Amino acid sequence: MLASLIYILIFPGFAFLGVFGLFAEFFDRKLYARLQNRVGPPWFQPFADFIKLLGKEEIVPCDANPAMFTLVPVIALSTVVAAFLYIPLWNTTSLLSFNGDIIVILYLLTIPTLAFFIGGWYSSSLFARIGSVRAVTQLFAYEVPLFIGILSAALLANTWSLSEIMTFYNKSPVLALFNILGFGVSLIALLGKLEKVPFDIPEAETEIVAGAFTEYSGKFLALLRLTLDVEMVAGAALLAAVFLPFGLGANPVIGFIFFIAKVLFVIALITLLRTVFARLRIDQMISFCWKRMVPVAILQLLICLILKGVIQR
Amino acid sequence: MGMIKKIINWSRLKSPWILHFNTGACNACDIEIIAALTPRYDLERFGVILKGTPRHADVLVCSGPVTRQIEDRLIRIYEQMAEPKFVVAVGTCACTGGVFGGCYNVKGGINSAIPVSAYIPGCPASPKAIIDGVVKLLKSLEESETKAAPAK
Ligand code: SF4
Repeated sequence: MLASLIYILIFPGFAFLGVFGLFAEFFDRKLYARLQNRVGPPWFQPFADFIKLLGKEEIVPCDANPAMFTLVPVIALSTVVAAFLYIPLWNTTSLLSFNGDIIVILYLLTIPTLAFFIGGWYSSSLFARIGSVRAVTQLFAYEVPLFIGILSAALLANTWSLSEIMTFYNKSPVLALFNILGFGVSLIALLGKLEKVPFDIPEAETEIVAGAFTEYSGKFLALLRLTLDVEMVAGAALLAAVFLPFGLGANPVIGFIFFIAKVLFVIALITLLRTVFARLRIDQMISFCWKRMVPVAILQLLICLILKGVIQR
Repeated sequence: MGMIKKIINWSRLKSPWILHFNTGACNACDIEIIAALTPRYDLERFGVILKGTPRHADVLVCSGPVTRQIEDRLIRIYEQMAEPKFVVAVGTCACTGGVFGGCYNVKGGINSAIPVSAYIPGCPASPKAIIDGVVKLLKSLEESETKAAPAK
């Protein structure tokens, strides 16, 4: 009982993930600034933003549905934290694990997008509605390549359990090199999930103010921003677990440092992509996902199937 | 309790998110405000982010005199912002009405419609002056908050 409380609230639950998520936001913003030849924010910036938003007045628009409007940030945050519980940290066993948990993680990481949709829809502001509809439209474009990319790696390992996938790749790291296409596709799809720049169409601030978050203020906005940060960490940790299975099984301290380094590496790649590209239009984004990324993901699937045949021979 | 209040005050000073609103400026002041937000001056060093919606913003940066058309909208935007909120008037027009003062369609400076916390004169106010003004606003807040709790 006490142990599970500690797992949920402190490590690797809310406290650890909150701090790590905010740190990841700082890392992202600082690297972004440095790549643009700026100085960038100080290390405490995301923490100051978070505390300031917690201390602000929160306004619920009178047209909004108060129950939905206030529940959505909490639901979104708790689902991403729950998803993180299934991801192994320094070794190959996660806190909770069963056969099929990789599917559960992918679905838990989808719920925040749906929550943003519901929150934006029920805040009954025009901008929020456009933003939330775009978020869901985008969801149908990037989820398919993301699922194919990650699940083809699982196919090669012949299991649906993340722990066993990691054990498999840890035993034969050479096989992980064949998943490089899947890694690229999943990384780009993750950009869409996190609403980062080439795919930040749902919250395009130059067109539709702040998308689904337009009417949110104070505590709710703080939770929503934290959700995106934790989602970034959880998504990066998932990609690191599936595609970068190195440095596991050593002692916990070194393994933990490896874990942080791998997550920051994935986040650095995301930041690089969002510095290099400009925002696409929603139709360009959808045709890019379906016409370019899905074929590449299917190619990855074929590579995995052929490789599997070769291995089992 | 005191400790928590101190931390919240500190965070407020470190992350002022701004909303830029043109109340009827000739556009020169707006260009200078945008210039102050470019990577050259890099206001993100101080935690300043330009936000699109009044719900997220802490500081409303207004430029230009208040015209009779814009007055209602200005007040509505001010009311949509969450407490605590501050207003900065950028440019001589925003301070007093400037060259447009006394026109048939102009009401006057920003303070003729909503309360203003800091005035930054200049026609147009240069980016450095704008940054200086915002820093002074934050300093005055720091002093007033250490003296007494702010009126809500
Ligand atoms: S102060 Fe000068 S530059 Fe600024 S809006 Fe007025 S006339 Fe234009």
